[in-house]
Amino acid sequence: MAVPGSADHITGGAAGRAGRPGVRDQGPAASRMAGRRALVSGGASGIGLATVRRLRAEGAQVVAIDRRPPAPELARETAAPFLVADVTRAHDVADAVTQASTLLGGPPDVLLNAAGIYRMRPLLELTPAEWDETLAINLRGSFLVGQAVAAALIDASLPGAIVNIASTAALVADAAEPTAHYNASKAGVIALTRQMAVEWAPHGIRVNAVCPGVIDTPMLRLMDDPVAGQAYLDSCVPLRRLGTAAEVAAVIVFLASDDAAYLTAVAVPVDGGSTAI
Amino acid sequence: MGGDDGADREPGVKAVVTGAARGLGEAIAARLAADGASVALIDISPDVTATAERIAAGLPPGAGRVTGIAADVAGEAACQAAISQADAELGAIDALVNNAGIGGPDTLVVDTTFGDFWHVLQVNLGSAFLASRAVARLMIARATGGAIVNLGSIFGQQAVPGGAGYCASKAAVALLTQAMALELAPHGIRVNTIAPGNMATQMHWDELRSRARASGTTFEEQVDRVARSVPLRRHGTGSDIAGAITWLISADASYVTGQTIGVNGGAWLS
Repeated sequence: MAVPGSADHITGGAAGRAGRPGVRDQGPAASRMAGRRALVSGGASGIGLATVRRLRAEGAQVVAIDRRPPAPELARETAAPFLVADVTRAHDVADAVTQASTLLGGPPDVLLNAAGIYRMRPLLELTPAEWDETLAINLRGSFLVGQAVAAALIDASLPGAIVNIASTAALVADAAEPTAHYNASKAGVIALTRQMAVEWAPHGIRVNAVCPGVIDTPMLRLMDDPVAGQAYLDSCVPLRRLGTAAEVAAVIVFLASDDAAYLTAVAVPVDGGSTAI
Repeated sequence: MGGDDGADREPGVKAVVTGAARGLGEAIAARLAADGASVALIDISPDVTATAERIAAGLPPGAGRVTGIAADVAGEAACQAAISQADAELGAIDALVNNAGIGGPDTLVVDTTFGDFWHVLQVNLGSAFLASRAVARLMIARATGGAIVNLGSIFGQQAVPGGAGYCASKAAVALLTQAMALELAPHGIRVNTIAPGNMATQMHWDELRSRARASGTTFEEQVDRVARSVPLRRHGTGSDIAGAITWLISADASYVTGQTIGVNGGAWLS
């Protein structure tokens, strides 16, 4: 079901400056993603929402998926149709991709898998149900949506670009952050990304991941204790600040753009340098 | 910090690209200039001035300045002088692309002289150190921040027989990148490495000719063999690398530092 949506919400580029994509003196062109049909899972908040906005600003048509309908003002502001779907259910995903293809006028040639959950729980207290829920949304969801979109693209002989959201938690462990189920799901996303990339490269589909570090989104728990949070930033993040969802979205849209035409199977940390320590 | 629409971007990027007389460096410089940057091209070859003039001739009126400087950036004094000259001609450097590099002798370790091995390290690693140090000093003194992008290689991530010096030099560039990223982050300077895979450059073609001679096959067979080994089934181009570098220099990479990012068609870990 398209929440506010109708096709006329998604035609036409957003107002914005003209110019070339690339260096910072001109800013991103409103036309860099013109003609692209984008699907964003988890599009109602955080990095997913920031990417919906950035894709729209650069001229793409965008359809978002989320578990719940967005607030009406959010739906109006993003001017993107929202489909309600549970990414862990194959039937929901198939329906959503079919509907999105209809709304977009063709199968999505940009996919961001941003649907995800993050819950802290020490390993000794972690229940099998909690493990399964996190793995299902973060990893199985990326698999199901990615598979459905790639199948539609390959069926139509169209190229495309998929970006998955992994995490720096897939790369490093942290005793102070008891999220083994989350970390394992995101490490799985990196492995899934690489295998999708090599299996679908012959079809012209590129697949990459971003590994966000501490990003200022509703998912973030680091700053629940502001003093400890700032101490963490000062010692563990070379740039000594949180990242923003817009900064991660900028990397995602680069990876989806033609400027990244030779990038596939990579996982790019967007972490203020924390994994360089 | 990056905004939704990049509205915080400053005008007039001033960039230095080393090893820019031909190949990847020329492509990078040309893309930056086409995007509106002022660019200083540095190369050991005096051809660099002609390359700069060729790029400038293709730009629309009102574009940035493009200048060529002939200098050996692997030499301490020459590198310092070239960076000073570039800084004076451009205004104030806010981006450096360390692209200067050589392929090395393509000999096995047991057949390689220490001089040949060390020369690769001096050029590929030494030039990145020298140019980065010179530029970082200027950026810190002015408190402007900036971005440095180094050229690594897929062969700095996985070894290849006959390439010990080259592989070691490019792996070292990746760690130099991390170290500089940590030291320079408080000054608002981001440092990253792009690691190209198999590129359609003269350096790579020379290597494939050498491989063809050694194995009794043709050059075309060698080119085809490499292309088929890459998931995207082609060699990378200067445009591919330039696209990634313009992104890393831009505010769209404002939270990315200390990273080595492969631009290799999926060839690594696949």
